[in-house]
Amino acid sequence: MSQADPGAGSPTVAIVGSGPSGCYTAQFLRKHWRDSEIVVFDRLDLPYGLVRYGVAPDHQGTKAVAKQFDRLFERDGVRFVGRTEVGTDVTLEALREAFDVVVLATGLSADRPLDGAADGLAGVYGAGTLTRLVNGHPDELVDGIELGSVVTIVGQGNVALDLVRLFLTPAADLLALGVAPEVVETLGRGPIERIEIVGRSAAPMAKFDVAMAKELSRLPDVAFLADGLELDPEDGAGAGDEARRSAIADLVAGSPEDASRTVHFRFGWSPDHVTGTDSVDGIVFRSADGRELAVRTDSVCTAIGFAEAETAPVQRTAHEGPGADIGRGILDDGLFVVGWLRRGPQGTIPANRADSKMVAETIATAVAGGDLPIGKPGFAAIAPALETPAEALPTLI
Amino acid sequence: MSKTVILYGTESGNAEMVADDLVDEISGDREVEAFDMSDFDLADFDPENYYLVVCSTHGDGELPSSARPFGEALDEEKPDLTGIRYSIFGLGDSSYETYSHGSEIIDEKLTALGATRVGEYGRHDASDGSLPNDNALAWLQGVLEPA
Repeated sequence: MSQADPGAGSPTVAIVGSGPSGCYTAQFLRKHWRDSEIVVFDRLDLPYGLVRYGVAPDHQGTKAVAKQFDRLFERDGVRFVGRTEVGTDVTLEALREAFDVVVLATGLSADRPLDGAADGLAGVYGAGTLTRLVNGHPDELVDGIELGSVVTIVGQGNVALDLVRLFLTPAADLLALGVAPEVVETLGRGPIERIEIVGRSAAPMAKFDVAMAKELSRLPDVAFLADGLELDPEDGAGAGDEARRSAIADLVAGSPEDASRTVHFRFGWSPDHVTGTDSVDGIVFRSADGRELAVRTDSVCTAIGFAEAETAPVQRTAHEGPGADIGRGILDDGLFVVGWLRRGPQGTIPANRADSKMVAETIATAVAGGDLPIGKPGFAAIAPALETPAEALPTLI
Repeated sequence: MSKTVILYGTESGNAEMVADDLVDEISGDREVEAFDMSDFDLADFDPENYYLVVCSTHGDGELPSSARPFGEALDEEKPDLTGIRYSIFGLGDSSYETYSHGSEIIDEKLTALGATRVGEYGRHDASDGSLPNDNALAWLQGVLEPA
């Protein structure tokens, strides 16, 4: 985007959520309007959402994007207001009255639930919960988490591979990465002897990135097995990427013979139901042609995607106005939506950067074309209502 | 008049941020312009200018998304880049075996078309979570030709 004339009127902007989509949106809007007031709200004390609490701690290169975002708050004049939940501490309506532009960037944080898993059955954990726990998210506790010695991971995306890596990384390495001692103890207590990682797709269509699979070869004392690796994608599903099949075959071929831990990839199985009375003792899968696979397991970890949390105080659909155009990020007059909350839980951080760029352009166009009148006072109008405007400068991860 | 032209290829924005810093550093002394590779027209390559190429690596050693159209255009149009001088700075993460490979793809293409790489091949390894900017500014001092 081109730099706007600094003399031109620029809007006051509130962004709800300081994860990658929110921060990239702030970045693009700041490039467009050097002098506009831009405030990023987050319900937590510390910014960066998924970058801080979702990206695995051994992926420091990916987490480094947080340092890009530090610049927003340290030198680019963007304000971070933490410990302020929009919808609870301040209403969205009040925010919209105070700011010309309000952007919802709260993401999708809830683990998509597994069909056929009884509520309250111990031993079923969502991948989002586990990665937040490993990353020290204030809402997650180790209480009640028992992985056991045989763990079944449902799903074969990058988040599932993150779990494999985190579960099998030596305790000393996790501690060195800053993972809390009680979390390291919980992950290692089994100790885990076998991980079943089960997905419904043929290997070329699986969701993981090849680089992530190759990375698993560095785990010490692990042998890899694969079932259904020869399966081809169903007709009409596309060819997928053969490199995924090769990457798994390479893991199997390169496995040490005397390893004490195994990781077993199984392709072509959809979860049917979880068994057990008080806690999980098994999980049953079905193939496309109706065969059944029963796996005995101590715990089930679901990595099958994310959804809007039912407890989120601001639900997207409740705020769609008559002029909503979700494709461009428009929810209502002066209200926009970006990132996963806009387009669903697909794509990595760079995909959300592209989304932020697109929505920032939507906003800039609306202001430039006069569709969006400006002149609202900004943060000063709501500051008195925020009891303890807990502002925190972001700290480095 | 001779310009310094920065071409960046980015995925998560780190290479763009490096380009922004390079512009800030150079702009007091000489004319400088930065382009996202996806916005750069190959017909604008000019032997009068000096090019700084900043490129990250994506996935399994692939070009980042904003460098992909540029790479494809070089392959298809095969412009004669004889007389074009450039220096290159690659971003990557040595946690992956394809560390810094994205910049190498661009480097090979430019060289094959007749362009000449000058100065040290700059690199930054993000595996420790550090930003590339300080490395890039240090590299800049080494490669920058007198104005």
